[in-house]
This record gives sequence, structure tokens and C-alpha cells, in this order.
Amino acid sequence: MPAFLARIDKPVLAAFGCIILLLLVGSLYSSSFLSPEYLLQQLQVASFLGLIATGMMLVVLLGQIDLSVPWVVTVGGMMSTAAAGWGPLGEALAIPFGITCGMIMGLISGFGVAYLRVPSMIFTLGMNAVAQGLMVLRTGGFAPQDHSTETMHFLATGRSILNIPNALFVWIAVGAATIFLLGRTTFGRTVYAIGNKERAAYLSGLPTQRVIMLAFMASGGLSAFAGVLLAGYSTKAYQSMGDPYLLPAVAAVVLGGTNILGGRGSYIGTIAGVILITLLQSILSVMQIYEAGRQLIYGAVIISMLLVYGRQKKAS
Amino acid sequence: MDANMPLFQMQGVAKSYGGVRALEEAHLRVETGRIHAVLGENGAGKSTLIKIMSGVVQADAGQMMLDGAKIVFPSPKAANAAGIACIFQELSLIPDLSVADNIAIANPPRRFGLIDRKAQRRFAEEALARAGAEDIHPLAQVKDLPLSRRQMVEIAKALARHPRILILDEATSALTAGDVAKVFAVLKRLRDEGLALLYISHRMQEIDELADDCSVFRNGRHVASYQAGTKSRNDVVEMMIGREYSHVFPPKPEAAKTGAPALEVAGLNWTHRLNNISFAARPGEIVGLGGLDGQGQRELLLALFGVLRGVSGDIAVNGVVRHARGPRSAKAVPSAMALIPEGRKTEGLMLPMSVRDNLTLPALDSLARFGIIDRDREQTAVDMMVKLLAIKAANLDIPVGALSGGNQQKVVIAKWLMIAPRIILLNDPTRGIDVGTKQEIYQLLRKLADDGATILFYSTDYDELIGCCDRVLVMYDGAIVRELKGADITEHALVSSAFSIGSGCMDQTGERQVG
Repeated sequence: MPAFLARIDKPVLAAFGCIILLLLVGSLYSSSFLSPEYLLQQLQVASFLGLIATGMMLVVLLGQIDLSVPWVVTVGGMMSTAAAGWGPLGEALAIPFGITCGMIMGLISGFGVAYLRVPSMIFTLGMNAVAQGLMVLRTGGFAPQDHSTETMHFLATGRSILNIPNALFVWIAVGAATIFLLGRTTFGRTVYAIGNKERAAYLSGLPTQRVIMLAFMASGGLSAFAGVLLAGYSTKAYQSMGDPYLLPAVAAVVLGGTNILGGRGSYIGTIAGVILITLLQSILSVMQIYEAGRQLIYGAVIISMLLVYGRQKKAS
Repeated sequence: MDANMPLFQMQGVAKSYGGVRALEEAHLRVETGRIHAVLGENGAGKSTLIKIMSGVVQADAGQMMLDGAKIVFPSPKAANAAGIACIFQELSLIPDLSVADNIAIANPPRRFGLIDRKAQRRFAEEALARAGAEDIHPLAQVKDLPLSRRQMVEIAKALARHPRILILDEATSALTAGDVAKVFAVLKRLRDEGLALLYISHRMQEIDELADDCSVFRNGRHVASYQAGTKSRNDVVEMMIGREYSHVFPPKPEAAKTGAPALEVAGLNWTHRLNNISFAARPGEIVGLGGLDGQGQRELLLALFGVLRGVSGDIAVNGVVRHARGPRSAKAVPSAMALIPEGRKTEGLMLPMSVRDNLTLPALDSLARFGIIDRDREQTAVDMMVKLLAIKAANLDIPVGALSGGNQQKVVIAKWLMIAPRIILLNDPTRGIDVGTKQEIYQLLRKLADDGATILFYSTDYDELIGCCDRVLVMYDGAIVRELKGADITEHALVSSAFSIGSGCMDQTGERQVG
């Protein structure tokens, strides 16, 4: 056990510690915070953020950031529900179509960052605005009436095996693939290499530009996938449905011990960060603190957590 | 007070980093008006010694005395206040600020709370003059200065604090021969003014010329202190590496290689930095690139490796014209080219990543199937390289940044040997590493050449070019001005052809050689 613990980064341990602490604090307020039903429900909600944070982590590991999350999530939701309105074939292809649209947005961001060398902070912010414009253009400024498909609803809210939410299975599958990708593939190794020192990675003959572009594409696709599930969750897609996800996604990744400057971090940490953020949001709302106070506490807690253990030493 | 009391003394100082003992039982006496050289291989504990002395790290045991009184330095600031200034191996200047800003950065002259630019400029001019670098304009941006000029600014910055003890850690490794002579004159003047100097260098001839006292360290221990000139160079090197110092350079092959050239370059141009370069190199040859620092040698290597845009002229590999479009296409078969870059910390390695991960980066594709890394193959390949180069690491999963400089350089070389390169380009691979490792690298290069690799070797160290290379191409102002072969490769010939054109440098050699 100690050897196993020693392998895990301190920030990851701290994040898991905070999760337990939050649950204990919550259970003082109400014992239902420790019930399996509540926890499963939280994991279901966490799955949406988990998908977005997965893509964000890939990008942050490169030393970049993806600020196009809010409207790429909306693109995913809106385009999949739009496809659902095109008859049986559209209904069948709704999910892949939504994800593909997100991947295209990500691909464009990735091209801009990798090949045109525009800083990701600017380029993805621009892409966010472009996505917003496109969606407003399509809906004419009104919420579209398109409803999500049965499959989307089933994936987002259904529970098939052992009463475990389907959304959680989706996150587990994506998470397992990401762990494999980062740990065992040339792609993953290259991501870490670029994050540590892009120049050295390039001079080592690694395909740096291609990997950066693919990482942004994955981030776009995963954001859109989360948008598809969110549309399934609330049975329809709507404007700015992705707005509440940008800060939590970045916070989850960084709280999970991924270096915001790139090059270091483990997926286990991102999982911890996602659960931590979700629990925090949930507990604040259960305690029925009014909205403004909730935002205040939420922001302050994130900043203070980062102060406590998010400030790792730079590469020694 | 004891009349023999030295200015600064260190007794029984020890320091460990996470279980690795960097320094133990170290003692040192530094006296005013003398230059004290500290010698030792990389990893001998010299850097730790200096860091303790300048307050960057704190010793675990032992004590330090200044003017006979016990003293502790909890921070670099405290050491500074006590009159100890240090010039570290890595440059500490901020590139986007002016020279004057950098020199006065710790405590700029102020008027009404704002920086007084005029006073700061005067202050900087004074410090530069003291460092013998009056030719540097105080308002120039540091990033516009070449490496050697920056080092002079670094020295001026340290002198601006009016230290009593000045520590120079590899301060001349980036300097050109002309600058080194200037720095030495300055250092000798400072000594005569009563400063105590602590000097660290891997260049033996510098120490011969400069030092009054010497202390040798090995494996974190103090081995011996002696007055300069009382030991032969061989004795000193033996003390440093703990073994006999002979045959530094492996023997060169008798006959010149005659086979078809593996690398042919014809009429290579790049902006105004490379001018009409043509040469050929054969398998089994080590071809040196000589000349003064910054005459286009680096650019030539980068151009061959496909990193530079807008290169014109022909590069032929095994007789076929083939322009690399980047490192990725350069390393691919058939050219199978490797570039050992200059800065191992900036271009060669990802310091926080493990030794294993660093080693396999260039060869990742060949160790993976469908993008999935084959761990067994990876392990076999890594083990082979660690054994071949005798890389000393506690284990392969520690960050490569935790290794000593020499071992880091070995990792840089090893990671490129993973792709079994046929053409190896080396950009000053032995800068700042210890004698023992240098020797191993020379032997390795000769072995690779004997196995049929073509090696292009740029070095700022003339001894290396003389000892290692079958031929040396001397460059000046982006062009090859002279080719030296076999017995013609002498220090005299290298220096004289390095200054072959241009009048500004003539007075330093007094010779004219038109290539």
C-alpha cells in the first residue's frame, strides 16, 4: 500500500482527501450525503464534466488551453438534436454527427495553434465566438424546438446495470481510453514531451504539430459529446447550455495536479478534480445558499485550493 | 586574532539531496588577493559547494566562517550582503531588458521612487568598465547580444555589487578566445585590488594560467589543496578522476577513407549566415567544424537537419539529393540523420521526464506498433543504451534533470543512437562536462565511425578537434575557409585559419591565411 501511495502525486492525494472532507462536512448537514443513491447521482452529473475535463487535460498537458468549451458544448447539443429532426437516418446518426461537428471546431483550433502558431488562449476564444455566432445564426436567436433522441436520453439518464448510471459508463470508457492513450501510446508520450519542452520534442523528430492538432480535435469532440449527453439529460438543446462548464473544467484539471504550464499530470488526478468540483457544486446548492453567495464561495474555494496545493514547483 | 585567519573558511560541510550525498566533509580556505581554483568532474560537488557558499542552499552540517566569525547564509541575499557574489553557469540575465536594467536589477538607483535612468546608465557604464567590457552599450537589449557578450554583462552585474569574494562557475565556457583573455586580465586586476576569487572551470589551461591555489574535489569529497604549479597536469587530472589519465583520444585510423561520400553538400546558402558551402564526408570519417564561435557552424548543422527555412543548394545523402523538411524527415531512413543539439537543457532533454522516456523519444515509432508502445522492446532498447554509454542513474524512472551534467549529455547522445543513425551531427557536445565523460564520448565517436557512421563534429575546443577529427573544416563568416587534414590539424593552424579573413581580429594572431 505505501509503495502504491508513493507513486501517486501529492496533489492527487490531496484532491481525494478534499473529496472525503467535503463528504464529511456534507454529512454533518444531512446524512443523505453518504447514501449510495446520492453518490451515484453525483457521479452521473460528474460524467458530463468528466468528458469535458478529459479533453481539457490533453490540451493543458501540451501547455495550451481550450477556451472554446462553452459553445462547442452547445454545438454538440444543438447539432445532434438538429440531426434528430431529419428523420430516421438523422436520428440514428444524431450522436456521431454532434461529436463530429465538435471535432471539426477542435480541428480548426488545433490547426491555428499548431500550424499558424496563434496562442491557444486567443484562437480558442475566437473559435468560441464563431461557434456562438453559428448557433445563433442557425436558430435565429430562439431556443430550437428540436428534442433529443431516445438514445441520447438513454445514455444520459438511463441506468442499465446494477443501477449504475449509463453516463458513468460512458465516462469510464472514455477515461480508460485516455489512461491507455497517455500511458502506452506514442501519442501520449509525445503530448508529455511537447508540454515539457516543445523545442526539444521537435528536434527529437516527433510530429509535434500533428499531435497538437489532434489533441485539440479530441478536446472539441469530447466537449461536443458532453453537449450531446447534456441535451439528452434535459431532453433538449438550448443556447449557452455549455456556459457553466469552462471554469469547472479547467479547475478540475488543475486541482487534479496537472501542471497548468503543461508536461505533468495524471488522469487519476483529473478524475479526483472532477468529482471534487461536482461535489462542491452540489453541496453548495443543497445547503440552499442563494446564487450570488454560491458563486462567491465556489470561486473562493477553487482559488484557495489552488493556493494550498496547486502551486507546484516549476520543472526543477 | 590569528594572523593566518583566511577571509573565508568552510569546515566539515555536508549536503544531501534526497538521500544522494552531494558533499561531505568539505573544507575550503579562501584568502584575499588570491585566485582559488576548484577542480573536479561534474558531480564532484563543486556546484553544491558554491550554492552553499552563496546561500542558494543550506548545508546539513558543518560551518562557515567569514573574517574568523561564524556565519550562516539563510538566503542568497544574506550572502550578497556579506560580500559574496556569484556568477553561475546558467546565465541569469533577463533577455528583454537592457544591459543597464540587468546590471542594476537588484537595487536600481531611484529618484522620487522611480528608476533614475541616467544614474542607472552611469552605474552600468562603471560596472561594465570594471569588467573590461566598455564596448557593450548599456542601453542595448540583452537578447540582441551574442552569448559571449552576455557573459561579460553577467560579470559586470556581479562586480556592480562590489563583492569581497567573487565566485565564477564555468563563467568562461561560453566565451570566445579573445574574450577569455580580456576576462583574465580583469580577474587578475581584481585579485591585485584585494578581491578573493573562486574560479571553477573544466579548462585546464585556464586554471594553469590563472590560479594561485587549487582545491580538488571528487565524489563530494575534498581530495587535496595545493599551490598552483606544484603539481603536474597529469597528477591533477588523476586526482580528479581517480584513475590514470592517458590516451584521452582514441587512436585515429592510418589511412584516409576513400569510399563514396555519405553526405555531399554543394553550394549551400542560407540568408547571409551560410555562404556557398560545399564539402563531402565519407562513412567512417569524423569531420570537424572549426573556427571562431558563431561563424555559421551551428546554422550549417541545423540546415543539414532540415530545421532552417529557405536553404538553397544541394544536400545529397548517399549520392541522392534529399532535402530534409524537418527533424522528422531527417531522422528517417535512408538519411538516418541525428543531431546532438547544443543546449542539453533547452533542446536536448525534457528535464522533468524520466530517463527512460527521454531515451526513447526519437525512436518511439520503431518501438511501437499501431502507435502502441511495446514495453518489452522499449526496455531492451533502453537497457542496451544505458549499458553502451555507461549511464549512471539510480534507476531509469527518476527525472533526467536529477542526473549530473555528464550523464545528461550521455542521455542526449544515447537517445539518438537509438535510431542507429548513419550520419551524426554534433553541436559542441562536450561543453561543460567532465574529463572522464569527455573521454568516453571521444571513444564512442571513434567506435561509431569505425562501424561506418559519418560524423560531423562542431567543437569550440581546439584540443578536441585536433585529437578527434580526421579532417577539420574551418569556418569564417558563414563559409568554409580552409580544410585541414591529418597532421596538418594543429592548434596553430586552427587558430590562424580561424582568423583568416577580416581585419578586426588580425592583431590577435598577427597572421594572415587566405583560405
